[in-house]
Amino acid sequence: MVTDSSEWVFLLHRLPREPSAPRIALWRAIRRLGALLLADGLVALPASARTIEHVEWLAAGIEEQGGVASVWVARPTAGATTRLLAEQGRASVEDEYRGVMREVEANAELSEVERRRLVRRLRAELRRIGSRDYFHAPGASAARDRVEQLAMAMAETTA
Amino acid sequence: MKWVTREHCHVDRTACAWLIRRSIDPEAEFVFVADPSQLPSDATPFDITGQPFSHHDGASTFEVMVRHHNLAEPGLEALGEIVHEADIEDERYDAPEAPGLDAIIRGMGRLLDDDDLLRLSATLYDGLLAHLAARN
Repeated sequence: MVTDSSEWVFLLHRLPREPSAPRIALWRAIRRLGALLLADGLVALPASARTIEHVEWLAAGIEEQGGVASVWVARPTAGATTRLLAEQGRASVEDEYRGVMREVEANAELSEVERRRLVRRLRAELRRIGSRDYFHAPGASAARDRVEQLAMAMAETTA
Repeated sequence: MKWVTREHCHVDRTACAWLIRRSIDPEAEFVFVADPSQLPSDATPFDITGQPFSHHDGASTFEVMVRHHNLAEPGLEALGEIVHEADIEDERYDAPEAPGLDAIIRGMGRLLDDDDLLRLSATLYDGLLAHLAARN
C-alpha cells in the first residue's frame, strides 16, 4: 500500500459508553485499518481515497449509533510530526510481521496437512497486515519469503 | 428515474448502479457529484452518508438495496457478500473473490470516467452473478 504520508485523515469521535457492542466494533475496525491512536477519541490514517472512504463510513456508523463524529484531512506543520507518526505505524506493523516469522519458526515439525493449513492462514494474515502497512515496514519481504519458502517446501514433498 | 452518487465510483457504487439498472430501474440515469452535500433534488441518492440507501448496521449500500427491494435470485446473496468484503473489508463474510474484484474495479477506475466505468463493470457483475448462480 503506497501512500503519500504528508496528509492524514483524522477521525474525531465520541460514542456513548453503553451499549458496548458498537464501541468494540469501532475499536476492531480502527485496528483492522491500522489507524494510529493520537488521543482519546482521535485516530489518524495516512490520507488516501481508500482510507478517507473507510473513515467516512465509520463516522456515519458512529452517528447512527448515537455518537458524534467528524472527519478531517490534516497536514502537520512540521515534517518531524509525520516522521514520528510514520515510525509509530511502521513499528506496530513490523511487530505483526515478526509475529508471522515467529509462527513459522515455532512450527518447524508439522505434518503435510498442518503445514498446508498454516501456509493458507499465514498468507491470509500477510494480506491483512499488508493492507495496513502504509509505511513499508522493513520486515514485509522477509515474512513473505519465509511463508512462501514453507509453501515451496510443501510443493517439493508432494512432487 | 435519476440517481445520484459520489464521483470516482468504486465497488459498492458500481455494483449498486448495475443492480439499479438490472433489477430496479432499467431506465436509470446516473449523475455523479464531487460534494455529497450538494445533491440535485430530482435524483435518488445512493452510497452517500446519511441517506437511506447507504451503509446501515455494518451492511454495504448494495446489501441494503437488495434487502430494501426484496430482491432474491440465485447468486445474489453471495454477490452481496463479495461486494461487502471488497468495500468494507471487515471479514464478516468469507469472500475470496473480494480482493480480486477490488483490484479490478480500482484499476478500471484509473482508466475510465464514471459513465464508462459503470457501463463496462456491468458486464463484470453480470458474469460474476452468472458464475455464483451456477455454483449454487
